[in-house]
Amino acid sequence: MNRIIILTPLIILLIICFFSLTYLLSGKDPNKPPSALLNKNVPSFESTSLYDTKEIIRTIDIKNRKTLINFFASWCSPCKIEHPLFFEIGKKYPELYLLGFNHKDPTSDAKKYLEDDGNPYDFVGVDADGLIALEFGVFGLPETYLINEEGKIIFKFMGPITKDVLKNEIEPLL
Amino acid sequence: MSSLVGFLSLVFAIGINFYLFLSRYIFKFQKQKFNLFIRFSSLLTLLSFFSLMYAYVVSDFSNYNVFQNSHSNKPLIYKISGTWGNHEGSMLLWLSILSIFSFFFSFTKNIEDDFQKLTLIIQAFLHILFGLFIVFTSNPFLVNSILINEGLGLNPILQDPGLAVHPPVLYAGYVGYSIVFSIAIAGLFQNTDNEWLYVAKKWSLISWTFLTGGIALGSYWAYYELGWGGWWFWDPVENISLMPWIAGLALVHSLMMVRGEQAIKKWIVFLSILCFSLSVFGTFLVRSGILTSVHSFAADASRGIFILLIFFIVTGFGFLVFLLKEPKKSNTLNLLFINKVSALVINNILMIIATLTILLGTIYPIIIEVLYNKRISVGGPYFNSTVIPIMIPGFLLMSIAPILSWQTNKINNSKKYVLAFIILSVLVLIQSYFLDFNTWGFVGLLLGFWIILASIIAIFSSYKIKINIKFFKIINPHVAHIGVGIAIVGITCSSVFQNELDFNLSEGDKFNINGKTVLFEKIETTNQINFQSLRGKFLFDIEKNQSKEIEAGKNYYPVSKMITSEAGILHQWNKDIYFILGDQKNNEWFVKVLINPFVSFIWLGVIIMIYSGLIAVTRR
Repeated sequence: MNRIIILTPLIILLIICFFSLTYLLSGKDPNKPPSALLNKNVPSFESTSLYDTKEIIRTIDIKNRKTLINFFASWCSPCKIEHPLFFEIGKKYPELYLLGFNHKDPTSDAKKYLEDDGNPYDFVGVDADGLIALEFGVFGLPETYLINEEGKIIFKFMGPITKDVLKNEIEPLL
Repeated sequence: MSSLVGFLSLVFAIGINFYLFLSRYIFKFQKQKFNLFIRFSSLLTLLSFFSLMYAYVVSDFSNYNVFQNSHSNKPLIYKISGTWGNHEGSMLLWLSILSIFSFFFSFTKNIEDDFQKLTLIIQAFLHILFGLFIVFTSNPFLVNSILINEGLGLNPILQDPGLAVHPPVLYAGYVGYSIVFSIAIAGLFQNTDNEWLYVAKKWSLISWTFLTGGIALGSYWAYYELGWGGWWFWDPVENISLMPWIAGLALVHSLMMVRGEQAIKKWIVFLSILCFSLSVFGTFLVRSGILTSVHSFAADASRGIFILLIFFIVTGFGFLVFLLKEPKKSNTLNLLFINKVSALVINNILMIIATLTILLGTIYPIIIEVLYNKRISVGGPYFNSTVIPIMIPGFLLMSIAPILSWQTNKINNSKKYVLAFIILSVLVLIQSYFLDFNTWGFVGLLLGFWIILASIIAIFSSYKIKINIKFFKIINPHVAHIGVGIAIVGITCSSVFQNELDFNLSEGDKFNINGKTVLFEKIETTNQINFQSLRGKFLFDIEKNQSKEIEAGKNYYPVSKMITSEAGILHQWNKDIYFILGDQKNNEWFVKVLINPFVSFIWLGVIIMIYSGLIAVTRR
């Protein structure tokens, strides 16, 4: 009995360390709570194209196809980091619809950015006042969402995606 | 240049400690030389810390850490405090304080040489662990690869005099327990006589006093800076500091009462290990960024894993030694229904339960998120409804505990106490009847006043009153408890009887608070050196000639694009009137006024506790 009492601290220590380690290794960030939107329907949106104000994209247009939505801006330096990866994705999964939302950016800057770094998106929507980002619950740029054929958000990532994220988290869903 | 000096001296200091650690097994050398090396490594660690501080003071932006966290426009004091206002620097401060404690411990006399040496070797081991942590994951001496003329600024909420001194004081408390830990482990290894208990007592009192001061500074800062009107929020980081504080309190009490009982000795060793473990655990929780709180720094998993490893090694090692080298049980405790020993046992049990309760509430969100991927937050309601009731019997007991006897069940003058308690209960009951009756208010006030009253009765009936230093040393335990009583009264009043008033006001409006007329004079914006300030000016009690001016508002820090709120507080001895300036809408400002009764009692109580901590250190 006495032995067990003395062992208790060690047992508690093991439990605490186990959970803390699992938490740390799971890559969770306390500043990034699990998204409330996960497994919910994609919010409705309507946006004009960056290049042609007559061209409009609506929620209904991405129905029945897998869509990767990426919020970006020319002033966002982490966006530059993840940018090349979208070319890779586009090449590897041609059937995936790549939708970029240009967030709170002057049109000229956005165009120049996509000219300099290339445009990997199938469609670039303008979100000049940030209302679409608000609907999606965007915390900070860049943010990436994967929508399945039923129009449900099946994946969300905050911050620039990396090769690891692409390989381990996005590709299994494609 | 200063970065290079800092880095090299840090590495050199770790090297010396490594050498000292090995000296136990390989190159043995004399005590004198050993102590010299310890002191030298301490000075090197301090040199490293001061080179970082120098880089901050001269705004040396070639240092990446300075560039990230400082700005040349910052006032000097915040440049200095910027040294520990970030993760890397604060870990270096941690290590420096560890070194300072080792430094002073090497001067301790009256203990066996071998024992002192072993304690310092364990300290050296801790120095190596945390030193490597800094070098490998949190190096504050990284150099910027490009030339930069300006820094990115410090988290503006940290630009506050209270907060500039809060971390060093708090760390002195946390890290002070390292010495207690090392002493306890060395005691287990060497099974010496009871001499080490006196040494441990002094150091644990020092740590506890620092910890009290650190927590109080932090909570005072939260009170006037966060602008929420409260001073304790059961924020994870607050809980983390409270756990070693409570465990340390149990330790201090056990150390004061131990008279060679092996059972208590065993318990003391356990508490010593626990205190330092909780301190390291707290460092882990804060530094890994695993919990969200006002203290959040950028999270980095590798750092978290490294500190978790240190926590695991230190705590595991401590408790394992405790398990294997457990002090032999020879004489049993003299437990009676109510005597000093049984009061101590009850006190210890309650404090440990309270500590575990807080621990559970603090790590529960982590467990739930791992298991269910859900974010929950455990806050005030849980802690208030668990921790406070657990502590109540302890509070009841503490008022008479110092005058209990060792051997018998008898309490001297017990009738006086019973009578005093009854009269007090009736008085508090009458008082709460006229104020709105509130159970917690009643219990809190009764407990607080009971502790104060019983301690005063004890002082007057048990000792001859003399005004000299020796007398103050003798009555010190009672004084400490009076401090607790005063703090409880303050805590109860300010939380239970807090009053909130909301106003929508235009400039020039008059409004009424507690029968006093207040004028909302004007809104003023000014440009300060590193921020813009917006202040609402209020004149309190304008009917009197000496009306008091209160300023409440916000600061905007352009460098980091952050807004902080600055509460305006009118301190009176019996209440604080707390002004918060809200948002503007249609030329009207939202103004929240909180009336916090007897907040000053909390700080007064804490000051008394710190005072008795200091007195107790000098008492043998």
